[in-house]
Amino acid sequence: MEKEKLKIIKKNDVLKFLDSLQKEYEVFMPVERNGDIQFSKFSSEKDFPWNYRNTKISPKEIFFPQSETLFSFKAEESALSSGSMIFKPEDEPEDSISENKNYLIFGIRPCDTLAFSLLDKLFGGDDFQDTYYMEKRSKATVISLACNKPQVTCFCTSLKGRPDNEEGADIILFDIGENILVRPITKKGEKFIESLSSWFEDAKEADIKKKNEIMVQSFQKIRSTADIQNIKEKLDKAFDISFWNEIHQKCLGCGICTYLCPTCYCFNITDEIERTAGSSTSSGGKRIRCWDSCMFSLFTMHASGHNPRPSYKERMRQRIMHKFNYCPENFKEIFCIGCGRCVRNCPVNLDLREMLILLMSFEEIKEDEKV
Amino acid sequence: MNNPYLPIPVTIKKITIENEARDIKTFDLEFNAKEDVEKFKYICGQFAEVSVLGIGESPIGIASSPMDEDLLQFTVKKYATGMVTSALHNLCPGDMIGVRGPYGNGFPVKEFEGSNLVIIGGGFAFTTLRSLIRYILHEKNRARFKDITVLYGARSPGELIYKSELNQWGERDNIKVYLTVDRGDESWNGRVGLVPNVLKDISPSSKNSVALICGPLIMVKYTMLPIMDLGFKPDKIFFSLEMRMKCGIGKCGRCNIGPKYVCKDGPVFTYKELQELPQEY
Repeated sequence: MEKEKLKIIKKNDVLKFLDSLQKEYEVFMPVERNGDIQFSKFSSEKDFPWNYRNTKISPKEIFFPQSETLFSFKAEESALSSGSMIFKPEDEPEDSISENKNYLIFGIRPCDTLAFSLLDKLFGGDDFQDTYYMEKRSKATVISLACNKPQVTCFCTSLKGRPDNEEGADIILFDIGENILVRPITKKGEKFIESLSSWFEDAKEADIKKKNEIMVQSFQKIRSTADIQNIKEKLDKAFDISFWNEIHQKCLGCGICTYLCPTCYCFNITDEIERTAGSSTSSGGKRIRCWDSCMFSLFTMHASGHNPRPSYKERMRQRIMHKFNYCPENFKEIFCIGCGRCVRNCPVNLDLREMLILLMSFEEIKEDEKV
Repeated sequence: MNNPYLPIPVTIKKITIENEARDIKTFDLEFNAKEDVEKFKYICGQFAEVSVLGIGESPIGIASSPMDEDLLQFTVKKYATGMVTSALHNLCPGDMIGVRGPYGNGFPVKEFEGSNLVIIGGGFAFTTLRSLIRYILHEKNRARFKDITVLYGARSPGELIYKSELNQWGERDNIKVYLTVDRGDESWNGRVGLVPNVLKDISPSSKNSVALICGPLIMVKYTMLPIMDLGFKPDKIFFSLEMRMKCGIGKCGRCNIGPKYVCKDGPVFTYKELQELPQEY
């Protein structure tokens, strides 16, 4: 990137800047709420939490909400009189977040933008497009904020990530003290900066030097690693190894690892009907999509009662295989970004990094060598 | 962008109770809008997400043949735990439901041309095989296929589905139909015996033949022994698999066997393909 494209914006101007964009954009930024940081709609009363590490809930929820209406439907008079519940789908699915505004995602961490680029491959796809995700995603300008202070659970550099990863974002910001260094990544990002040029100044040599120093330090702060080179090949032959008999034993099957994971995308589709009090019939309802988890037994339970993944063993194996073997097979990408959310939030301290390290060094003991 | 989650409205024209236990029904459907017929062009072995709005969706194999003009059929078994199948069974002709699809790879019918077909079905899993048989027997298609042998079994005579059609096929000379039941009754003077054993008795030749097997897991498992003994090669044996599904389009993440999704990469797999996948079904 040539030097002249790097800009700076004053840290003190950022809230005003975001406020000014509200006419055109639905602005999302990290906001502190009850001690947790979560992506929320911009509010001028909230300061931007410049020192935040990362959100507890992954910002995938902006494009892929935990619960989302696919469409609504109304009951047909004629059908109700026959006593059966038949509805007619309404033509247009309702937009669950906003009218027709574009989205601005401001201050997201680089690992989480990397997750967007992975989810794009699934929800985009060359055969079926997931219109709900893709519409929101295409309307978004994503501005990430490089990590100055990685957490002890961060292990992005063991995967594809870096504290200044650019993939999945349109612009990346660097916190260099009084000022924020601004670097456009995509054409969309360049245009965005050009159209709002009055807010920015050209970056000076000293700003770039400072940014480089901070990034070197940031890299050094990532102490946690899991050497998983060739993990796909390792897992190609690992479906039946005894590793899986032990690794799941602490797991409670609560599913928090999958709910908080920025790359977990499995979902359920259910219907909800609306009923007014005192009436036995329904006037209509909604078809809802919500996050689901491979850690739950009902996830794969057939109506006949047969379940191909009946125990924690098969479900833990599915979680690891899906991320580190099946997705590399289908999308040429590992579906893990090393954000450490699953590590930080597991109620029984199951540590994905440890599991991966154990797996990589695992050698099956032959029957006759067992003590 | 085309929204793949919106069901196409269809109306139930006719409901046929298929078995003695009255828990298997065939639904004849008609598209509410004529232009939707074109959108739903399907091939044998594909399935659809059948929708009862307010209850949910369920993936069901298409039982009619692509040659059946203006007719879309699904044969549905009701499970006590199945909300959608139970709701479907409570509906009447004239009621409106929804379908999304068609989904899945279907049977590679072109690949079967010029071959003998050995079609083996058990119980209620006969639906997409019936679609295939109807397709092949169509006067425009029959000449492109060699001998057709159908072996179909059920627990008891009352549980054989598509009875009148089975009888019609039995009277034709361009298809051999073997019916068998696990246990007969006073009205039954046909074969009694399990599908794998009957297969041994009739011993169809594997020369220039493909085998298609659909049925309960236990039947499929024990049919593998005689079918391999007959000399069928793993890439000439086809199965249609079932798995819990939601989206039907390879997104919701639950119907996979290893890296393959039954909804998108299947439901039809060869034995060779299954041998290369983890044993998780």
